[in-house]
Amino acid sequence: MQLEKIDDYRWLIPKTYKAGMLTDALVYANEQLLETIRRDQSLEQAANIAMLPGIVGRALAMPDIHQGYGFPIGGVAAVDEQHGVVSPGGVGFDINCGVRLLSSNLTLKEVKPKLRDLVHQLFRDIPSGTGQTSRLDVSDSDLNQILEKGPRWAIERDMGSEADLDHTEERGCIAGADPYAVSARAKQRGRPQLGTLGSGNHFLEVQYVDEIFDERTSSQYNLSKGRIVVLIHTGSRGLGHQVCTDYVAQLDEAMRRYDLHLPDRQLACAPIHSPEGQRYLHAMAGAANFAWTNRQTICHSVRGAFKRIFSEDVHLPVIYDVAHNIAKFETHTVDGARKRVLVHRKGATRAFPNQAVFIPGSMGTASYFLLGQESAMRETFGTACHGAGRVLSRSAAKKGITAKEIQKELESRGIIVQSLTREGLTEEKPEAYKDIETVVDVVHNVGLALRVARLRPIGVVKG
Amino acid sequence: MCLFVAIPCLRYSTVFELLEHTSDVGILARGQTREEALVSVSQGLVSILVDPAPFRPLEERHFKAPGLDEAAQIINWLNEILFFFDTEGLVFVEFEIDSWTGDEISGRARGQRFDVARHEFRTGVKAATYHQFENHQTPDGWEIRVFVDV
Repeated sequence: MQLEKIDDYRWLIPKTYKAGMLTDALVYANEQLLETIRRDQSLEQAANIAMLPGIVGRALAMPDIHQGYGFPIGGVAAVDEQHGVVSPGGVGFDINCGVRLLSSNLTLKEVKPKLRDLVHQLFRDIPSGTGQTSRLDVSDSDLNQILEKGPRWAIERDMGSEADLDHTEERGCIAGADPYAVSARAKQRGRPQLGTLGSGNHFLEVQYVDEIFDERTSSQYNLSKGRIVVLIHTGSRGLGHQVCTDYVAQLDEAMRRYDLHLPDRQLACAPIHSPEGQRYLHAMAGAANFAWTNRQTICHSVRGAFKRIFSEDVHLPVIYDVAHNIAKFETHTVDGARKRVLVHRKGATRAFPNQAVFIPGSMGTASYFLLGQESAMRETFGTACHGAGRVLSRSAAKKGITAKEIQKELESRGIIVQSLTREGLTEEKPEAYKDIETVVDVVHNVGLALRVARLRPIGVVKG
Repeated sequence: MCLFVAIPCLRYSTVFELLEHTSDVGILARGQTREEALVSVSQGLVSILVDPAPFRPLEERHFKAPGLDEAAQIINWLNEILFFFDTEGLVFVEFEIDSWTGDEISGRARGQRFDVARHEFRTGVKAATYHQFENHQTPDGWEIRVFVDV
C-alpha cells in the first residue's frame, strides 16, 4: 500500500485508495513502526473502517496498530450521532477492556523484601477465571444492578470508596445500560467471572516509578521515584465476549435489512438510531459497567493482599481507570463545528486534556503514565494508543523458550512472575511486543499525550 | 506456523492445522464432507483452549447453531463450544452432527469438565470470528478456515 507521508509521524491512506472509503485514514507511526505495521493487514483494516456510514473526520490508526477482527486493534472511528452506524467490531469482544492504576504509600525498598510473598498472595486472591470461579456471590438481581450502575454496586458492599469512582472514566457507569438487552447467555457466561483476571494479555503488575518526566503532574498524584504502584489490565470477561458475539450476529442480519455493505463481515453494524443499534448500545453500556465493576472488585482484592502482607496502614488509591475498547457519545469539533459523535475506540485510550493515560508495555519491560493533551482533541477525537502491540505470533513467541526459562530470566532482573498457564508466560514474553519506547515516543512527539512517569514491573500475575 | 493433527473421532476422519499471524490464531480444518470439516474445526478450537488428550466423552450437550448462511451457522456452532467451556467448564472431545439444514446445524458434543488441578489450560478464546473465514468444497473434500479472538 502506498502511503502519503505528511511528516515523520503521520501517514495518510487517501480515500482514493479503494472504492467505498468515505474519508482518509491517518496512521500515527514512525518509519520503524510502519515497517512492522505493514507485515499484517492492519492498514487494509484501517482503510475499511473509513467506509463506515456516517464516519466524520478521518479514520485513525494509533502507533500500536495491529491486525484485529474487522477493526484493526488501535483503530478509531467517530461517526455522526444522527446519521452514523454503531459497529460492535469497533469495540471488540472484550468490551471495556481497560487499565486501572493504583498508587500506594509504599516504596520499592519497603516492598522488595516481601515481594515473593506479595506476588503469591495476589495470585491466590485474584483468580484467573479458568477452572477457578469468582469468589463473589452474585445473584440475578446483583448482576442486573452491576450492569446498570457499575462499580457503585461494589462500593455499596464495602469493596471500595466514592473516591475510586471519582478517578474512573465515566465514574464507572455509562448511562443507558439495559440489563434486558444483555442475553441470558451473556449473564450466565459473565456471572462466575466477576472479580477474575482472565488469560491472554490480561495481567496484574506491581510496579515502581522508575523515571519522572513531569514533576508537577507526578506530585499531584503523589508519585515520586521508587513509589510502588499497581496496574490492573482486564475487561468484561465472558459477559462482554458474549454481548459482542450476540450482536455481531444480530447486526450481520440487520445490515441486509438496512442495505448496508462493508468489505468485512466482522464490521457488522446498524444505524445508531435503529432498534438493533440502540439495543447493542444498551447492552454494550451494561458490559462496560460490568468491566469497571470487575476492575473495582479486583482492586479491592489487591488492597486486601497488600494489607495482609504489609499492614492495615497501606493505602492504594486509584490514580485512574480508563477503557480502551469502547464506543462513547462525545462532542468534538469537526470541520469547525461542534458535533455530537459516537467514537469507537478499539484498542485505543481516551486521552482528554489533563486526563491520565496508561500505556502498558510487555511483561518485564516498562509501562507509561502520560497526560492527555489539547492536540488530541484537535486530531484524534481525544485518543491515544493503548499498549505496545504484538509483533510476534503466539507460536513464534513460544519457540525456543520455556515458561521456566522466562520466569528465571525475569527473576534475574528482579521480577517475580506467577502465571496459571505456561502460555501466559511464553506467549506474552517481552519480545512478543513492539518496543514500548518507540510507541510512546510517537504519542509524545505528536503531542497526543505527554510523558509523566515510567513504571517498571517487579511482580507480575497472569492468567 | 502449522501444526497438523489427525484425530480419529467416531465415524469422522478429521484433521486440522493451527494458523498463526501476529495476534491471530486460526484453524484450517479438513474433512471428506462439510460435517467432517466442522468436527475438525471444533476439535481445533478445543486444542487452542486446552490439551484435549486426557478428556473423556462423559457428558453430552445438544448444540443448536442457527444462522442466515453456512458461515453464520459454523461461527455460532463454534461459539457454543466457548459458551459451555465458560459456563460449565466442559471440554468437548466428540462431536456429532445430527442435521444441517439451510437454517441451522443441530448436533451433540460430548466431553468432560475442566479441572485446574489435573488439566492443562492453554489460552482463553473470546469468540470465533468472520475474519478471513473460508468454507468451501475442495477436490479432496471440504475445508473450513476460522480465526478466533484470543
